[in-house]
Amino acid sequence: MRQRVIEWAQDAHEAEVSAPADAAPQHPGVRGSSRSAQNPARKPALRSVTSDQPAAKPAPEFWIGVHLTEPASQPLLERLAIRAQRFTPRVSLVPPDGLLLEVKGSLHLFNGVEGLWRALENECVLLGVKPLLALCPTPLAALVAARASSAKPCIVTGLQQLIGQLAPLPLTALRWPPETLERLAHMGVRTIGEVLRLPRAGFARRFGTEHLSTLDRLSGRAADIRNRFRASERFRRKCDLTYELESHDAILRALEPLFKELGTFLRERQCGIVQLECLLRHRHAPTTSCVLRLAAPGFDADRLRELLGERLSPITLPEPVRSCELRSGALIRNALASSSLWQPGEHGGRVAGESPELIERLRARLGPEAVYGLKVLPGHRPENAWGVAEPQVRNTVAPSAAPPTARAAASFPGGSSPWPAFHRPAWLLPSPKPLSERDGLPWRRGPLRLLGDPERIETGWWDGGEIARDYYAAVDIHGVRMWVFRERTSPHKWFLHGVFG
Amino acid sequence: MSADQELARLLEHPAIWRGRSAARRETLPTGCGALDERLPGRGWPRTGLIEILVPRFGIGELSLLLPALASLTRGAAARWCVWVAPPANLFAPALEAHGLRLDRVLVVRAESRSPAARGAKSGRRAPVPLSIWACEQTLGSGACDAVLNWTRHRETKALRRLQLAAERGRTLGVLFRPAHLAEESSPAILRLLLAPSTRGVLVTLLKSRGGVRGSVEIELRSKGN
Repeated sequence: MRQRVIEWAQDAHEAEVSAPADAAPQHPGVRGSSRSAQNPARKPALRSVTSDQPAAKPAPEFWIGVHLTEPASQPLLERLAIRAQRFTPRVSLVPPDGLLLEVKGSLHLFNGVEGLWRALENECVLLGVKPLLALCPTPLAALVAARASSAKPCIVTGLQQLIGQLAPLPLTALRWPPETLERLAHMGVRTIGEVLRLPRAGFARRFGTEHLSTLDRLSGRAADIRNRFRASERFRRKCDLTYELESHDAILRALEPLFKELGTFLRERQCGIVQLECLLRHRHAPTTSCVLRLAAPGFDADRLRELLGERLSPITLPEPVRSCELRSGALIRNALASSSLWQPGEHGGRVAGESPELIERLRARLGPEAVYGLKVLPGHRPENAWGVAEPQVRNTVAPSAAPPTARAAASFPGGSSPWPAFHRPAWLLPSPKPLSERDGLPWRRGPLRLLGDPERIETGWWDGGEIARDYYAAVDIHGVRMWVFRERTSPHKWFLHGVFG
Repeated sequence: MSADQELARLLEHPAIWRGRSAARRETLPTGCGALDERLPGRGWPRTGLIEILVPRFGIGELSLLLPALASLTRGAAARWCVWVAPPANLFAPALEAHGLRLDRVLVVRAESRSPAARGAKSGRRAPVPLSIWACEQTLGSGACDAVLNWTRHRETKALRRLQLAAERGRTLGVLFRPAHLAEESSPAILRLLLAPSTRGVLVTLLKSRGGVRGSVEIELRSKGN
């Protein structure tokens, strides 16, 4: 077998050297090459021969695959990854239960494979998870070997031995979809060695090129690039005050150096934050905490300071402040957008991307519930027909749904509103206000004149909000147009519910 | 088209300022021809503070503005239309029926939480009502097309600040104020006094830069009646 491969390699070489005009279809080189392309298992053997190197040459990378016996949560996996970064900077996560470490460069620092192995196992045990480990030249192979590992640990340091070591492992370790595995099982293919022996072209046709490329990455034939895990950073600085401070302005001034540091910190990392907590410590009273939440990542420390100032201003401090501390939430990458030539609203100027700054500033001072948008709800009762919505900040200029017309109101097609246009008042009182009655007509600083026919709005038994009302438009003696109703149930009282405005 | 007409059309361009007249302003049609005739630039100004004085809340001041607000919110690059400290709940279905796009509407509630007490305690600046503060922030932010505010605040200095903020943010600010303040001076660029009439409202221009003074009666569309 080995002999044949060497022969073929020489043949192929000769075929390349000889003139292509003489490329007879029966040439052994041509046949050989097509056969070898169908059979990935021979590729490593071929490489070892053509590279003219001794078989024991170590692979360029050593990957340790860590397989947790139980699926772990993302935070736990990240904590494990942070601990694993003690061994190597190249750590990647394979959720939900895997971790990969490239350790070629750091093996000698931990007494070789055994030492590092034991230290890594210890780290896992400290976090309360049970790991299965394997060391292979390719990341996928390491992971697969770890998943299928038995009592005897799988340690492969050369690409040549890799296929041989992986061959007896069950296919389930590859985590292909169950139907694929079932089809392969019907074909009598149950181990990785067996699947590698299948013809490439036929395999790609039957199972898709995606699975074929998985096999290539497994055997090291194709590169397997893994994203490096980076621990999330946070900003946290504390400053003890020389004097105890009471006034908000003085505290903000004392926080200034911390904000300056925060600004540098964010600029260096090209990141922003959406949450900032300010802790103010007192002598006896419990710590005052003030949390600033932003609608979009904030980068500018001056702006953050202003917002925190607004957020602090309504807070009354129980005691003077002895020390303060700033803690940021998770960092978020800064995606910069180009600004427009014209100012927004200027002639020809467009809003390139709306900044949520205004809403944040208002919310910081007035409270988060004081700033809201409106939406129409599909309810037939006036009280249920509208609701409060979160203001929608537009990131880009969306193509407007309706063409801008000066007389949009006149050409309003009815839209999504179930109401006949203009029958509803612009203002709705929070709750109907009782009106007095004289001569069968409602009275408010004088008699009300009813306009037009009543509109009946009824029922709501399904949620306990049963109503039975006849609504009228009415004008009072001052010319105020109102929306009033009369209850259909006894005692038929009049109520004011809205103003047309 | 003759050369004169073409030249006139060219001079209509809002970016062209001519020496003898005041700077042309971008305007917004009110949706009512009779009112357009009277207003400088034939419409509401796009930028600046205007004042609408009403004897009573609800005589039709909002109906006067809604067509303009609707066209503002339906524009291609529409900014916010902010209602600062509205006197009651805004009824969303009615606004939508008038053609406003609700995703551009922002309501800001600014009930004063005893500002006097706070100002006295911290010994800081004189208390400005929260609604005026919110109004100035929104006008000056540049993120709004229109800001509507209901206020009884009568300090000229605060109003002057609002006018400057409106110019800075290129925003139309609308102040609804009681009619008895008509005699007081105001920094607003346009002041209208509204009075109820049999068919709608009577609009009197108290102050306008370059407009025709006088009254005009506007028929309000009282649909379905």
